[in-house]
Amino acid sequence: MAEPVLELVDVRYRYPTGPEALRGLTLSVAPGERVGLVGPNGAGKSTLLLALAGFVPAEGLIRVAGHTLTRGTARDVRRHLGLVFQDADDQLFMPRVIDDIAFGPVTMGLALEEVQVRVHEALHAVDLEGYETRAPYHLSVGEKRRAALATVLAMRPQILALDEPSANLDPRGRRRLIQLLAGLSSTLLVVGHDLDLILEVCQRTVVIDAGRVAADGPSAEILGNRELLESHGLELPLGLAARM
Amino acid sequence: MHHIMLDQFAAGKTAVHRLDPAGKTVATLAVILGTVLVGRDHFLPLVPLAVALAAYHAAGRTPLPYTLKRLLVVSPFALAVVVLFPILEPGRPVWTFGLGPWTVNVTEEGLVRAGHLAAKFLLSAWATLLLLATTRFQDVLQGLARLRVPRAFVVQLAFLYRYLWILMDEVMRMRQARAARDGGLGPWRVRFQSGVGVLGVLFLRTYDRAERIYWAMAARGFDGRLHAPIQSRMQGKDWLFVAGAVALGCAAVGLDRALYG
Ligand SMILES: Nc1ncnc2c1ncn2[C@@H]1O[C@H](COP(=O)(O)OP(=O)(O)O)[C@@H](O)[C@H]1O
Ligand SMILES: [Mg+2]
Repeated sequence: MAEPVLELVDVRYRYPTGPEALRGLTLSVAPGERVGLVGPNGAGKSTLLLALAGFVPAEGLIRVAGHTLTRGTARDVRRHLGLVFQDADDQLFMPRVIDDIAFGPVTMGLALEEVQVRVHEALHAVDLEGYETRAPYHLSVGEKRRAALATVLAMRPQILALDEPSANLDPRGRRRLIQLLAGLSSTLLVVGHDLDLILEVCQRTVVIDAGRVAADGPSAEILGNRELLESHGLELPLGLAARM
Repeated sequence: MHHIMLDQFAAGKTAVHRLDPAGKTVATLAVILGTVLVGRDHFLPLVPLAVALAAYHAAGRTPLPYTLKRLLVVSPFALAVVVLFPILEPGRPVWTFGLGPWTVNVTEEGLVRAGHLAAKFLLSAWATLLLLATTRFQDVLQGLARLRVPRAFVVQLAFLYRYLWILMDEVMRMRQARAARDGGLGPWRVRFQSGVGVLGVLFLRTYDRAERIYWAMAARGFDGRLHAPIQSRMQGKDWLFVAGAVALGCAAVGLDRALYG
């Protein structure tokens, strides 16, 4: 098997003002794999993504695209890890959509022509052509999410990590997102409660509860296991429930 | 959400929009400096500055309501001065009235002083607003960076600008959330108390959000440097514009010296 693109061994983190969010989490992801991360609220899924990018200083081993995460390597790690935050308002901070999408490629030091290519490619991928000069804070929720995704796509990261990407999307926006994710070739981590989306996009699903991996296996198996899901506060995806 | 946008018209295409941002920034500073250096209580030297600003206003096709609204937003400070000076400045009383146990004298000297300060303040604010109305904010930042303004200062300004939006967003969300529950009514005392509580939470929420936005920037490689994807260049017309503005500032000061010695 190929060298894992993502490796976590016994990762722990306690918020200074709160609970122990990660309690010895171990996980390994192969290049090109699409993994759904599911679990009840407060399980530590969002914290896990922050730890991957080095935003919260977790204990344990974290390796991303061949770089072991330390204070000194956080920058290299972030180059390979495209993080899309749960709240798109956190992701978008520039005055215009086009500036926001160009921000990553420009900070990477790419030439102007290359930046333009990346920006247009990303806008096209999320179907936001024509939105270049709009202000991100004046977009609808669905448009904001797509713009947030584009800001990361433009950096062409090896690993894409999305936190609850379909929350608050209408059915059409959700369908569009599923198609978009299914068409990507990078390694994918999708955190979410939208088990139907994960079933369609990810071949593998990891259940996280109380800061640890509680189950790990093919999506069809994990998401079809009513008892397992219910013991972690989840429900069968509608797509599978209908077939039973 | 609807904000009063600072640089709403900055994407226009008039001749003044197309001037170099660094040049426009220097020109704005020259006009403000000229305004500030005009001696106390002297009104005449301010007139050419006002005329020049009006001309720039027209050339940039900046809508008048845009400017007036924003001047109103920044005016509370000026208003405090305008209200206080007439009664604090000693001099010949033009109007005397009783306020509880006090007798208040509105003096002529105070009125002149207040009017002069308000005029200077409004001119400076107007010049700044016009710069922002005809230059995109990130271009102003790049202009400052090219003028060798320290990087830390420029980055602070950039953050300040973004955080202003966050703050306004949070205020609006929280006000909406509260209004949805109390119907915007309730006794004043309760509303005031909840208002104070809201301020505390507002601070924490803004701080949290600011941190997450910083993360979003760092996640995309931000290390405190502003990179300029599009470089602009000072051309003949830009130098001419800056020279004109500097001459204007000097003219105001010169006129001040000539008229009042
Ligand atoms: N900024 C924070 N400060 C303190 N505690 C936090 C913070 N963010 C999350 N937590 C806590 O950490 C735990 C894990 O949260 P989170 O990773 O957001 O869970 P999930 O994304 O799986 O819903 C929860 O108990 C939550 O209350
Ligand atoms: Mg979460």
